[in-house]
Amino acid sequence: MKRILPIVIFIGLFVFLAKSLFQPQTNIPSPLIGKPIPPFSLSELNSDTSLTDNDILGNISLINVWATWCVGCDQEHGFLVELAANQDIDIPIIGINWKDRDDLALRWLSKRGDPYTVVLSDPIGKTAIDFGVYGAPETFLIDEQGVIHYKHIGPLSREVFTINFMPIIKELRR
Amino acid sequence: MKRIFLILILVSTQVNSIEEYDELTSQQRELYQQIIQEVRCLVCQNQSVGESNAELAKDLRTEILEQVKQGSSEDDIKSYLLTRYGDFVLYDPSFKKSTYLLWLSPVLLMILILGWLRKIGALGR
Repeated sequence: MKRILPIVIFIGLFVFLAKSLFQPQTNIPSPLIGKPIPPFSLSELNSDTSLTDNDILGNISLINVWATWCVGCDQEHGFLVELAANQDIDIPIIGINWKDRDDLALRWLSKRGDPYTVVLSDPIGKTAIDFGVYGAPETFLIDEQGVIHYKHIGPLSREVFTINFMPIIKELRR
Repeated sequence: MKRIFLILILVSTQVNSIEEYDELTSQQRELYQQIIQEVRCLVCQNQSVGESNAELAKDLRTEILEQVKQGSSEDDIKSYLLTRYGDFVLYDPSFKKSTYLLWLSPVLLMILILGWLRKIGALGR
């Protein structure tokens, strides 16, 4: 027993370290949870109207960071359209079009359906940095006052939404 | 092979805007270079922001350059990044409650090993 113990410990440590080394950390905890959304002023897609963080408050809503070049956004788009049409869940989705071109974004939305109540354009990505975005798609759940309650990195799906978002939304609406 | 390495080294440190970089004082340049090597590129996690070609890394370099130019200190810039991206963004995380275990684990491990060696009598008497 005494002789085996160090070997067991060694193997355990080896497996743990090897696993951590080869497994990229995909869901890095955001320090912004529980904090209000960062202040911003962005123009609406293909328009001169600027909106600030205050303009989008008032509802429990989702903020979805997306781009036409982003593969995961392509995957989740169908679900977003479905979600936007769902009267029972009834949650506004605010889009932030990240490092993209307005014409490409508009073409994408007219071709594939537009789930967003409003789409803001962040071509240089400065607001995305303030939101701590590092890979699209990213989706934030905010309350009426703009406090961030949850952040999901990667494509949304019905499953992800039901498991991760719905309980918080229900709690917030109570 | 050597040539490949040389090329890799040459392209590994990038500067976004040469003109803007030129405007920095040598002290500011040093600070900029130091920070971009210490900040992790979150998209490609085994590279620093200074080494990475990812779009986000470019944006972060621009932002850091901008802030260095405006005279921000190392602490200002690091806390700017920390409030947005969390501890994970720095290769050298600060010593605080949530990172105690991370920093102290080598010492703890050492103590455990010494204790064990002593128990089996490998340390002599």
